[in-house]
Amino acid sequence: MQFAQISDRVEATARDVDSSSLVGAWINSNLDTNSIARVKITNADGGLQLEVFAMGPDGLIDWGPSKAQVFAGGPASHAAAGFTCRYDFGFAEARLQAMIMKGLLVLAQFHLFKDDSGRSDYFLREYFALSHDRF
Amino acid sequence: MTQAAFKQNSHLNPELREAGANLQKLLGRWLNTNRDTRGIAECTIARDGDEVKVSIVGVGDDGPIAWPTVAAHSMANLEEEAGQRTGALMATFDFEFMRAETHIRINKGVLVIVLFATFLDGSGRSNYLNREFFYAQG
Repeated sequence: MQFAQISDRVEATARDVDSSSLVGAWINSNLDTNSIARVKITNADGGLQLEVFAMGPDGLIDWGPSKAQVFAGGPASHAAAGFTCRYDFGFAEARLQAMIMKGLLVLAQFHLFKDDSGRSDYFLREYFALSHDRF
Repeated sequence: MTQAAFKQNSHLNPELREAGANLQKLLGRWLNTNRDTRGIAECTIARDGDEVKVSIVGVGDDGPIAWPTVAAHSMANLEEEAGQRTGALMATFDFEFMRAETHIRINKGVLVIVLFATFLDGSGRSNYLNREFFYAQG
């Protein structure tokens, strides 16, 4: 078995990663965000699908659906710990990398501009809570 | 003047038209804060002309494993937290059996590497993510 760090040398059985911990409606903890306000995550077609809603000047902008790749917490784990996802807007690409930490979804965003607007590619990171109706 | 295209307010942040990513604090040799790590032992970030190169050393069975040095993608930082403005890096390491996509940033003086590993070898290992912390040497 090949590895680039010894933590990758594990006995593993091929099995789907359980992504149920990621499914739901995640709300940004920052009420004043200028970025993603909420993320809806569902199981679809045997995979994970995201729908992102971001703050625009006139209200929420629906980025539409996109498939996500699920990641476990380790090479021998079968419990989801995060995901990656890409949106291509034509003028820019948004790459999302998310991980669950202490019950929050920590979402890192990488925005790469493809137009000639002179804007710098940029990074930001925000925290999202899973909405629920328990109390 | 025509407004630039956007999909969220931060796409219109005027800071994005000012200076590019400030990467100075990222440069140097960084050692894992966890001396018992079984993951990444150290990371070196250096300028090479217009590029920023990232070199990583993994912990191996019989000694360190040098990953191929790669050019990183530099990103300005719009994080609100603590007003930090040091840029971040994206770097992807391609092995035949695995692809490791990383993002690298500074948080309160500590270098944070978040790694998303995708196995390509059919070994049955789960794709996984990991986060490790590094302090500046010297």
